[in-house]
Amino acid sequence: MSLVARLLAPKAVAHAHCDLPCGIYDPEQARIEAESCYKIIEKMGGNSDPAFTTRAIHIKEERADLVKHHLDVLWHDYFKPEHLETVPNLHELFWNATKQVSKVKASTDIADAQKLLDLINEVDAAWKATGGEGKTRVAGRPS
Amino acid sequence: MPDPRSEAPSTGGASPYPRVVAGRTRADGGRRGLAGLWRVTVADGSMTPAVDPGDWLLLDPTVRRWPRRGSIVVFREPASGTLAIKRVAARPGDWVRFADGWLQMGDDEAWLRGDASDDELAAAGHGAAVDSRRYGPVTVDALVARAWFRYGPSLRRIGRLPGP
Repeated sequence: MSLVARLLAPKAVAHAHCDLPCGIYDPEQARIEAESCYKIIEKMGGNSDPAFTTRAIHIKEERADLVKHHLDVLWHDYFKPEHLETVPNLHELFWNATKQVSKVKASTDIADAQKLLDLINEVDAAWKATGGEGKTRVAGRPS
Repeated sequence: MPDPRSEAPSTGGASPYPRVVAGRTRADGGRRGLAGLWRVTVADGSMTPAVDPGDWLLLDPTVRRWPRRGSIVVFREPASGTLAIKRVAARPGDWVRFADGWLQMGDDEAWLRGDASDDELAAAGHGAAVDSRRYGPVTVDALVARAWFRYGPSLRRIGRLPGP
C-alpha cells in the first residue's frame, strides 16, 4: 500500500455482519450423543455404586445437552422454509425431539432414550427427504 | 454523622445504576463527540451494494439521537460490543413487523437492518445478515456515528452514501 493510501485508510473496522455457516449438517451427530444417553441409562440399571451413578448422571446430562445443540443447529441452520413442503410436520417434529431430550436428561427410563432415538430417526428421514445427504456432506455419508 | 447513602455516586438520571455499554472505552474510538470516530473501513457483506467490504467511509460521530430512517449508522452490537454497520429501519416510536406480530420501538430504540437480502447473501456464499432480527432493538447509547460519505479506496466509487 502506498504511503498516501496508508495515511488515508481508516484504522477502525465496522462489521456488516452476516453468518458464514460451514454448510455441513448431519443428524448422525445428534444420534451418536443420543446413543450415549441410551447406553448410560442401560449401564446405570446394572450398577448401584453411588460414585458410578453420580458420574453417569453428569455425563448423561452433558451428552443430552449436545443432542439438543445438534438438533437446534439442524432446525435453525439446515432446514429452510421451503422444506416444509416436503416435511409438513417439521416444526412439530423438532419440538417433540428437543422436548424428548429434556425428558431424557431427567429420566432413568430406557424407554425415554429409545423414544429420542426414534425421533432422531424421523429427523434423519426428513434430512434425507430434503436432499441433505447429497448437499451437506463433503462426499455423502461414509458407508 | 453523615448519611452513608449520600456517598453513593450520583448518576443524575432516573435510574440509580450507572449505564454501562459493553466494550466501549476511550481507546477503541467508541465515544461520541469531537473525540469520536470519523472514519471506518467495512468488513463483511450485509450492506452491499450500498456499502461493500473494504470501503472507506467518513462518519459523523456528533450524532446523539437515531438519525432518519434509511440512514446508515455505525454502532456497538448488543452483547458482543463489536463495531457494526447497518441501516436504520425504524426509529423510536415506530412499529416493526416481527415474528407474526408487531413490535414498537422504545424512546431510545431503533431497529437496524442489513441491506442485502438473504438470497443475495446466500448467492455470495454467506448466511443470513446478523441484525435486529437476531438481536432485537438497539438502544441509542450503542450508537457511535452516522456514515455519510465513501472516500475510497476506489476513486470511481467516491461519493455520498445512498440514504434517506
